[in-house]
Amino acid sequence: MINRRNFLTTVAVGTASAAALAACGTGGGTSAGETGSAENPVTINYTWWGNDDRAERTRKAIALFESKNPDIKVNGNFTDFAGYWQKRATEAAGGGLPDVMQWDLSYLRDYGQRNQLLDLGTVKINTDAFDKSLLPSGQIRGKTYGIPTSTNAFAVYYDPAKLATLGIAEPTGKWTYKEFNDFLTEVGTKSKSAIFGSTDYTGVWWMFNIWLRQNNIEAFTEDGKLGFTKDDMKKWWNQTAGLRGTPAIITEERVTQLAPKSPFGSNVTATEVTWDNFMAGYLADSGAKELKLVPVPSDDPDNLGLFLKPSMLMVASAKTKFKDAAARFIDFMVNDPEVGQIFKTSRGVPASKTQRDGTTFEGTDKLVVDYEKSIEQYLKEAPEPPIVGFGTLEASFKRVSSDLNYGKLTIDGAADAWFKEAEDLIKQNA
Amino acid sequence: MTQSPTLSRRSAPSASPLPRKSRQRGADARAGYTFLLPWLLGFIALTLGPMISSLYLSFTNYNLFDPPKWIGLDNYTTMFQDERFLQSVGVTVGYVVFGTPLKLAAALAVAMLLNSARKGQGFYRSAFYAPSLIGASVSIAIVWKAMFGDSGPVDQGLSLFGINIGGWVGNPSMTMPMFILLTVWQFGAPMVIFLAGLKQIPADLYEAASMDGAGPVRKFFNITWPMLSPVVFFNLLMETIHAFQIFSSAYIISNGEGGPAGSTLFYTLYLYLRGFSDFRMGYASAMAWLLLIVVGILTLVIFKTSKGWVHYSGDAK
Repeated sequence: MINRRNFLTTVAVGTASAAALAACGTGGGTSAGETGSAENPVTINYTWWGNDDRAERTRKAIALFESKNPDIKVNGNFTDFAGYWQKRATEAAGGGLPDVMQWDLSYLRDYGQRNQLLDLGTVKINTDAFDKSLLPSGQIRGKTYGIPTSTNAFAVYYDPAKLATLGIAEPTGKWTYKEFNDFLTEVGTKSKSAIFGSTDYTGVWWMFNIWLRQNNIEAFTEDGKLGFTKDDMKKWWNQTAGLRGTPAIITEERVTQLAPKSPFGSNVTATEVTWDNFMAGYLADSGAKELKLVPVPSDDPDNLGLFLKPSMLMVASAKTKFKDAAARFIDFMVNDPEVGQIFKTSRGVPASKTQRDGTTFEGTDKLVVDYEKSIEQYLKEAPEPPIVGFGTLEASFKRVSSDLNYGKLTIDGAADAWFKEAEDLIKQNA
Repeated sequence: MTQSPTLSRRSAPSASPLPRKSRQRGADARAGYTFLLPWLLGFIALTLGPMISSLYLSFTNYNLFDPPKWIGLDNYTTMFQDERFLQSVGVTVGYVVFGTPLKLAAALAVAMLLNSARKGQGFYRSAFYAPSLIGASVSIAIVWKAMFGDSGPVDQGLSLFGINIGGWVGNPSMTMPMFILLTVWQFGAPMVIFLAGLKQIPADLYEAASMDGAGPVRKFFNITWPMLSPVVFFNLLMETIHAFQIFSSAYIISNGEGGPAGSTLFYTLYLYLRGFSDFRMGYASAMAWLLLIVVGILTLVIFKTSKGWVHYSGDAK
């Protein structure tokens, strides 16, 4: 159990050992770092977030890597997403980040700009097979801090079987926000509230981001400020103002009760707006036979605001003693076709063409790949890594939206609350 | 969490005034400090040192990565313009004010039930004490969350009586009662101390009162309560401090977010989020110190008022 005293102790011990480690951490800096041999292999630490399924796949990939690279041993470790970042923060403070880590775009600036991550441009990783428009999302000020493992895109999920029992036609994915809202209402009404249309999609940061792009607004400016106004935000939350509290949208009480499972995975909503690589998880959670993907709504049929985002990145610690080994492991994880066979689309669609072409996609994996192909003509450039502290902003966006659905905040009040936090945070990190 | 029941002045061990040579006393002291050393080192390295460094950090802007930047009292002053901070204060104060007295009342009631000499009393005492041993654990918080969730046992039980309020976990106005029930259920530790206190009340007082025709209510207010007041005082102090520190159950039941609608955003949870999710360690340290100061003042206040209602036997009153 954690009480205040233990907590403070941890903080301070972390700080103290950071100082101690910083004192003895310098020296011994050849460019490749220490290398090993088959008789005397070096051991690198690798950490990732995910569920048991991903852990199993990762173990397989590590075993394969070790058999191909007898001079390197990989020590793997994983946690869930929320705990992951708290752990990294403490490790970074203590100077003990693992050598190689799975990373999220939201936190790339926090650590990259603060010199915690290795510039991967200084080591040998083959990026020839990558789409050139994708690589910048792992770069900050000309330095490469992360290599994307795979891509994901936003989509509307639906369960065809549920729609069939309600006698509702399957959507084509060419819809305006009004048509999408009407569809959600139809689900709620025809099912007599047994199934809700969806969760309130205005509470999803990335959907807001996509809507901004549909209106040709970038969420963040290049100098790390907000690119949209309070009015944009109010307009966005007003999209579903007429739906909150109706069967079109699930109540916030239910969402909270179901957490950490999603309402869609729990079979209480007919659709969900989120990343396409959640497919495997939703299938497992809901037990549905089949789930389908269509594009998100847009009031401009030529601009869907969609983009491919690195679903995750591979990064290395700036302090790693084994740069060469770390680089070889990253190269292997992003490029090797056999790794693609192990992960399929559970990390997203492989970003490297070598890996993608070497992977056979069947069943649901094929659905995800096909979806990303079907939206190719609408894709815009991936957004730059979001600003420092983005993880906090994303969380508070979700929280404020939730308060809005609880009726604790008005739309104006919600926008005020979020902007106050955002401005405070931007000032703090300036 | 261990609370040693050294309570009344009566039970303090009387120092034996054996005359000793001063040299031997010096050797004793050295031996004493030697035995104390492991604890002392631990205290300085793991408690005092960290506390001092957190005091320093509370005056800085520190994000874990860059060196701390001195900003004076800024953290302390901005706190009072931070709505989430004020919300967390409200939630915590509500919990302490309602949870602590209820918990103590439950503990005292059960202690009085268990005080009578009856067959199998040992078993009942252990059974009633057990929840407080496991109460703070992660697993209980998970069980609690399931019990009070949608169509959980509580929801279903209540609907048998025609009360349909749905799950408590997702309902902002029901989460506080849920947490108070959780703390009341963990009455074991104060109960054991009450029980020890009850055992010390001389039986002849009750006998005399009975002969004078006093009923159970009269006996409680005129004998039990005054005789027990030092123990009540101790329990009140410990449980108040303890209540301010609620963290793990809130963290687990709200998935570490303090939801729904901020209704479980306890002070320590917000402190933790500020430090480890928002990387604002300076702010978090300032919050920790403010909590320490407030709890300190509150303890002082309870001590001051205790003169009016706590009676030590042997006092000329």
